[in-house]
Amino acid sequence: MKKFAVILGLMIWGGLLIYIADDFPGWGDPQAPASVNLSPYYIEQSIPDTDVPNVVTSILADYRGFDTMFETAVIFTAGLACLFLLRSYSTKEPDVYLYRHTATGVILRIEKGGTIPVGSADFERIDATWVPHDLIIKTTCRLILPFVFIFALYVIAHGHHSPGGGFQGGVILGAATIIFAISYNLRTATRNITERFAAFFSAAGVLLYASTGVLCMFFGGNFLDYGALAPLFGTTIAGARSLGILIVEIGVGMSVMAVMSSIYYNISSNGRLNEGL
Amino acid sequence: MIDIITSILLFLGLFFFLGGSIGIIRFPDFYSRLHPAGKLDSMGVLLSLCALALYTVKSLTMGNFLTAAKIIFIVSFVFITSPTATHAIIDAGMRAGLKHWNKNNNQDKKEEKP
Repeated sequence: MKKFAVILGLMIWGGLLIYIADDFPGWGDPQAPASVNLSPYYIEQSIPDTDVPNVVTSILADYRGFDTMFETAVIFTAGLACLFLLRSYSTKEPDVYLYRHTATGVILRIEKGGTIPVGSADFERIDATWVPHDLIIKTTCRLILPFVFIFALYVIAHGHHSPGGGFQGGVILGAATIIFAISYNLRTATRNITERFAAFFSAAGVLLYASTGVLCMFFGGNFLDYGALAPLFGTTIAGARSLGILIVEIGVGMSVMAVMSSIYYNISSNGRLNEGL
Repeated sequence: MIDIITSILLFLGLFFFLGGSIGIIRFPDFYSRLHPAGKLDSMGVLLSLCALALYTVKSLTMGNFLTAAKIIFIVSFVFITSPTATHAIIDAGMRAGLKHWNKNNNQDKKEEKP
């Protein structure tokens, strides 16, 4: 009986939703309310206003810059939440240390009380759940990573003209960090892109975004009105808005990249950041 | 002339895609299925994207040439990374202790035994 009532209720609600869907404007209808009021302004005025051919970027970072600033803040908050929930600072020493002699590949197992070759260039510490020395994957990653980084920077900087922007480029940068951490190990990754660096950059990205907005207020405009920065950059108002979008996108990219790495570090090692994938 | 070469390359690439798709379904276990999957990614993508690059430079301008160069970059990166990914997956499978298929530990037969 209960099951029947649930099914009946679902059918009534589903029928209502389908009935309402009939009243929606057609797909891509030029007379639809969404495309008669504001959209034509964006499409026609994007280049005269902001010098940016990609309308999506100009809406995202200029016309609705306030919204995007808080999106970046949401990402920063997510990174912070992950850090607070997962990071544990317990310094429990492991019972067994594993070290690899880099020249020969011999693994040393050092029990408690043994001499640990700290700081020696010949030995490299490896995880307790150690993975064999995989030359193929490491070499490929070393080959690919520079191109990935360049492509990510291209995506950030070229968001004005092609699909892309701070979020996408930042995610590619973060993915590059994750690939590096997977192909080598977490210890090598945290030595190159440290936790401190990640935490600093995730805050600095949001700060760069917000301080650009505040700088506009110093030059007499509204918050995030990049056109006010024209005397600072020595360009027209449209050119200043274009440059302002670029600065903001760089901030977003920094924040996203740092948060991605930070979340990966914490999740893959249960917040201890010593061993992991 | 370029049209003919392009279509031949495209058909060859599609042939590899077809063979790879059939292989993924038909092969008996994890390891042998990854073999056609890797072929599909490297050879199929290589041939069909080369065909696209060739088709783009049919009328040779700077823009078309740059587009073709980008496609060739994609081809080279896929050509390097796809076999590495297959290698890494198989490596993970071996380390996780997945047994490879042979006539004696065939899954279907095992179900019949008891």
